[in-house]
Amino acid sequence: MSVVDLMSMAKPNLEARGKVLTKLHGREMVNCFQCMKCTSGCTALKLLELKPHEIIKLVNLGFVDELPTSNIIWTCVTCLKCVERCPQKASPYHVIMALRNLAVEKEAKMPEHYLKAVSHILETGLTDTPEKIVTRKLQTVDRDSLKLPKIKPPMESFQSALMKAMEEK
Amino acid sequence: MGVDVVDLRESVCCGAPIKSVNDFAANYLGARVIALAGLTGLENLLVPCNRCHFTISESRNIMKSDPRISGKIKDLLREEGLQYSEIKIWHTIDFLHDCIGIEQIKKAVTKPLTGIKVATHVGCQIIRYSDLERVDNAENPRKLDELICALGAEIVDYEEKLDCCGYSLILSHPDSALSLTGSKLKAVQKLPVDSLVVSCPGCQTMFDSKQKDAETTVGAKFSTPVIYYTQLLGLALNIDGNRLGLNMNQSPVDQLSAKIASNQNISRHPSGT
Amino acid sequence: MVRGFFIVTKIGVYVCHCGLNIAGVVDVERIAEYAENLPDVAVSRHCTYMCSESGQRMVQDDIKSLGIDRIVIAACSPKMHEDTFRRAVSETGLNPYLIEIVNLREHVSWVHTHEPEKATEKAEELVRMGVARVRLSEPLKSRRVKVEKSVLIVGGGIAGIQSSLDLANAGFKVYLVEKSPSIGGRMSQLDKTFPTLDCSACILTPKMVDVAKHRNIMLLTNAEVMEVKGFVGNYEVSILKKPRYVDAKKCVGCELCTRVCPVKVPDEFNENLSEKRAISIYSPHAVPKIAMINPNYCLRLKYNKGVCAKCQNACEAIAINFEQKPEVNQVKVGAIILAVGSEVFNGSKMAELGYGRFKNVISNIEFERISDASGPTDGKIVTPKDHKMPKTIVFIQCVGSRDKRFHEYCCRVGCMVTLKQAILAREKIEGNVRIYVCYVDLRAFGKGYDEFYRRARDMDIDFIAGIPSEIHGSPDGSLYFDVYDKGTNKLLQITADLVVLGTGLVPNRDMGQLSALVHASRSADGFFLEAHPKLKPLESAMSGVFLAGACQGPKDIPDTVAQASGAAAKVIDLLSNGEIELEPLKAVVNKDLCSGCNICGSICPFAAIEIHLEKAEEGVKYRAEVIEAMCQGCGLCCPACPSGAIKMPQFTTSQVLSQVEAALAEPIVKGGK
Repeated sequence: MSVVDLMSMAKPNLEARGKVLTKLHGREMVNCFQCMKCTSGCTALKLLELKPHEIIKLVNLGFVDELPTSNIIWTCVTCLKCVERCPQKASPYHVIMALRNLAVEKEAKMPEHYLKAVSHILETGLTDTPEKIVTRKLQTVDRDSLKLPKIKPPMESFQSALMKAMEEK
Repeated sequence: MGVDVVDLRESVCCGAPIKSVNDFAANYLGARVIALAGLTGLENLLVPCNRCHFTISESRNIMKSDPRISGKIKDLLREEGLQYSEIKIWHTIDFLHDCIGIEQIKKAVTKPLTGIKVATHVGCQIIRYSDLERVDNAENPRKLDELICALGAEIVDYEEKLDCCGYSLILSHPDSALSLTGSKLKAVQKLPVDSLVVSCPGCQTMFDSKQKDAETTVGAKFSTPVIYYTQLLGLALNIDGNRLGLNMNQSPVDQLSAKIASNQNISRHPSGT
Repeated sequence: MVRGFFIVTKIGVYVCHCGLNIAGVVDVERIAEYAENLPDVAVSRHCTYMCSESGQRMVQDDIKSLGIDRIVIAACSPKMHEDTFRRAVSETGLNPYLIEIVNLREHVSWVHTHEPEKATEKAEELVRMGVARVRLSEPLKSRRVKVEKSVLIVGGGIAGIQSSLDLANAGFKVYLVEKSPSIGGRMSQLDKTFPTLDCSACILTPKMVDVAKHRNIMLLTNAEVMEVKGFVGNYEVSILKKPRYVDAKKCVGCELCTRVCPVKVPDEFNENLSEKRAISIYSPHAVPKIAMINPNYCLRLKYNKGVCAKCQNACEAIAINFEQKPEVNQVKVGAIILAVGSEVFNGSKMAELGYGRFKNVISNIEFERISDASGPTDGKIVTPKDHKMPKTIVFIQCVGSRDKRFHEYCCRVGCMVTLKQAILAREKIEGNVRIYVCYVDLRAFGKGYDEFYRRARDMDIDFIAGIPSEIHGSPDGSLYFDVYDKGTNKLLQITADLVVLGTGLVPNRDMGQLSALVHASRSADGFFLEAHPKLKPLESAMSGVFLAGACQGPKDIPDTVAQASGAAAKVIDLLSNGEIELEPLKAVVNKDLCSGCNICGSICPFAAIEIHLEKAEEGVKYRAEVIEAMCQGCGLCCPACPSGAIKMPQFTTSQVLSQVEAALAEPIVKGGK
């Protein structure tokens, strides 16, 4: 490899870049010409400093390794403005989601609620259990008191199928 | 309005929260919902939540365009005896606007919401991204607005209309999420409106349930009633507030109900729009 | 030479090294040796450069001394040197159509560079096939047809004007057809031109006047081409002259009529930024300077009653004629130049930028009209909403171009137009106006262009490397948006009084119609397709149809003028002899076998086959006839014909089948020379 980032001494990892590309359903990520439109309109930029153009450029040049372990990929609000407006359909959102998937594969540090959601879905089919709430008039209300139908949980075969699905890379 | 709604065999996640963990698994869950819908033998699937609608639409798209992935997903479905088949996917908004139609809704209205002005927040994931057949136009969504006008109310447009509510970040970055919510509420508060109307449970959570939390985050006071379009529709159809779940909204919706009621007392015209 | 079962010919095979282009991959000596043993091959040679003088002489000498009467040249693509060798062969008196070019370069050495052994085997096969085909070739005679020494030029912008003048000065009759009531086109809408900042009207109007005065140019404005029949050298064109409702011979252009007309109409020339009247002169420097009534707005013409007629009453030249009818002119021309220009991208398609929603977001062509002294604001750069002087102007590049959602190509002129407009804004607006250009890549590629870019930077015009995602408006008419600048890594919030979108050039809306009229194809981007992107940029694949200006692809004025003069030169080249030679590789109908079913005619993409009623032995019968000048030799008709009545010389069934047999055969060892 004849390229080194002198600030971090990182080298491009083309294999990891290839992994990201296989997770995407197209090669448009490589068409990005850094027009800055995605970052200019990014909902998460002002508060969380997410720069979609930078993420795409880092991946394109092969500097993938630093990203799944970073915090920045978890700041995307999924507003999809970058997908809608990119003139080259490079879709930073999908690249960020692919990096998140990579982070999970590498067991990197990530917001815990995602994995909690997964285990809950495996058990009950839903991300969370329906709770009691207190209304603004200070009444307590839940599904039973509202006479809502009981939630039908999924069949057992669901668990094994979902676990298999989670194995796919 | 002549629509029968049939529940699916199971209540199960569409896969939206899993997209960040394993996109394939999320697509599988979305396809599974479609397969469950197929069991009913009906042609139309109604998905009232923006995020679910987006996730299920992306699943459908992958099933159509990627034979390798759709093959694997179909195998998994077969393990449960499920089959994947095409179905029409609707959201509440385009179902009401395109399938039922504005004229039908106008006819059904018995208590027109005269004098009521609202701002709309249609959300992100049902208007974007355009390549994935969405519910409305990405830069100028008008269906929700038209649905509201059909009830006799007025719309007030504002520049921040297409801004995101921040729901995706509420668990991992609550301050940022509430900051986004608060900014938008600040903008809506400046408008001469009686309510903010939403169409997604995620957005509802932020603007309604967490309105007080947003106050703290951005240092402002809010008193904006936030309700679902379906609740507003119900009010125009003279359905009792409690049946519409208005007792469970956390934002000050009573002032909206009160205004609607008093406006109707003032206007003593015979019914008819 | 005896024909029939036993075909006796003397074939010469010549294998070219093409320097190392072919010889570097293919074993050319082995090919020459191999060819020697093919049936009927009398001589087989190889040479470093066959196309050189010595290479050609080699062939000529063999023809003269050895009686070679069929030739195979195994070298580069026929598109390169087929003509060269045809000429060399005709010089010896041998028919030039007895040559076969076998492509060992583009088809072998250039595509199989890394497999020399297999490449050489393929070369052997191809030469074997070439020999099999050329053995059955018949001499062909090209025909000469007379041509009209006149030209139709569609489009009266700078491209059409330049071509017209070049051709008219060369002695050709020119019919210049322009859709709008005046010539001048896009260039007449410009204030100044880059990079010299010449006043556009000042350099254009003299040429417009020259066109109007030239005795060889028949100027047809407010006119459109309706139908084109015929073939290269002999086109018959119908031109529709739409009525002006004003007598062109009487109108003096005094504009008294305009002053009294009560009907206001959006001014198209001013990009609808101002209004004019239902009767008006099209543009400030119109040529011809003759009024025209817009029948969609004129009260009398629209409602068909005896109303108004104020213009008629005011006209001292008695030029108004409400009864004027459309006229159809039929003309005969030898060639056609398409010079219809382009349109500007409709910014409202990029809804996030607010064009159409906010009055102070304008396109670059609208800015041009505002800046022009003869425009809607008398040359004062003011905001459209409230006509105030802007304190901050922002230009945004690549609107509608380089975008997979709209047009993928780069519009080529957007960057230079913006630089020009930014400089004009700096020069014309007093005080310290902040001027920003939000760009993706700043392309200043031409002569003097990068110097012009430096000039802009010298004038305190700020360049932001990044474009905004969305533009918002305030009630006071100002615009605000965020943009991320790559250079400083800052997210800037900009409040501007005026936003100018660098909207790109897009194909004209009637390109499809025009394309069908003259059978000129279009490329994927919608512009007219040139015959070869590198070597034939001035002509369409359709003979006799030439291309000039932005209709072939977006371009600036210098390139347009160059292309226009080039197209004119091509036309002169084509028509100056008074006749042209038609290549004889045209379909030929065997009248005895033809039943007139017209399957061939219905398939022909060039409309080159006509069915005629002809005298036959048994009375009259329908027969197909190939219009040789239109036939492009594609061969589609031949396999379609159910009775094998139509054939393509050099691609006859027996020739093609002999090639197939040769391709599949084992290498033949010749028995006896």
